[in-house]
Amino acid sequence: METLDRPAVRKLMGEVLAVQGKTLPADDTAKLADIGFRSLDFSELALRVEDEIGDELNFEAAGLRSIETIGDVLDLLVEIQGQ
Amino acid sequence: MSDFDPFPPVSVVLVSGASRGLGLAIVTDLLERGVKVAAFARTVTPELEALASKYPEDTQFGSVDVTDEKAAQAFVKEVEARLGVIDGLVNNAAIGQDSLHVHTSSDRIAQIIETNLTAPLVLTRFVLRRLIGKGLKGRVVNVTSICGQRGYQGLVAYSATKGGLDAATRSLARELGGRVLVNSVAPGFFASEMSAVLGANQLESIARRTPSGAMTTPEDVVPTVRMLLLEQTNINGQSIVIDGGGSI
Repeated sequence: METLDRPAVRKLMGEVLAVQGKTLPADDTAKLADIGFRSLDFSELALRVEDEIGDELNFEAAGLRSIETIGDVLDLLVEIQGQ
Repeated sequence: MSDFDPFPPVSVVLVSGASRGLGLAIVTDLLERGVKVAAFARTVTPELEALASKYPEDTQFGSVDVTDEKAAQAFVKEVEARLGVIDGLVNNAAIGQDSLHVHTSSDRIAQIIETNLTAPLVLTRFVLRRLIGKGLKGRVVNVTSICGQRGYQGLVAYSATKGGLDAATRSLARELGGRVLVNSVAPGFFASEMSAVLGANQLESIARRTPSGAMTTPEDVVPTVRMLLLEQTNINGQSIVIDGGGSI
């Protein structure tokens, strides 16, 4: 299965936010709550990653509850692709 | 004057999904009240084995996957031969969900529906055919969930199955007329299950928002199941919510 690396996922995350008129901060420790990145935005990002890799990413919601920062989002999506 | 013939309390009950939690609590309670109890689960746990030792004449426990139709039907026939005709059925076996719908695979959705909705309908059909064919009366209790009536994130397929089972409860009660009482119990979230996905602070917050001040436990649900199986109440086709008022 083709996978997207962290910078590629970060680029897609920036695109998700750009559609909403928001800018993705350069700092991975920035809080999602501060930039207005919600759980459905995570779903949109995951579905965009799916489009790129040509495979479904199905996962439990438990992992979503612990993400707080941009870095957490990137880590989780890279991890899910590896499963 | 009505010629209504009361429903007798059940004498032989089959409980699916009885290895732990609510299913185990129901089995234990019924045995303590002198009811013969058959139960199956994917695994016969030490707790069930202990009950079998304590009540050797009144129990039959087996390792059966509820989605294995042939195995479940064979088990019903074994129970009938040993304990008598099953006149009470508790459909408790179910699998959970904790995933957003768009991130739940179609295979997983099918598995949830098969286990939580198709399997209990098929098992109920089989038990009812044997009961009605012998001219007997009986009672069915479906264990559903507050999810069948209210919306919760991460539980789309699960909610659909529980709402479906509540709907089947009503139609079965209508269809079976004066022969079988069919009801559901719809518990709120069990703290024991939610603790796997929520933190202590979140659990405390849910309990605070619940009018009774506490989340539901299996022991809270058992008395209602007992009543529906053993008492003369004329409750039929109902889904009884047991959630401390959390959904009101």
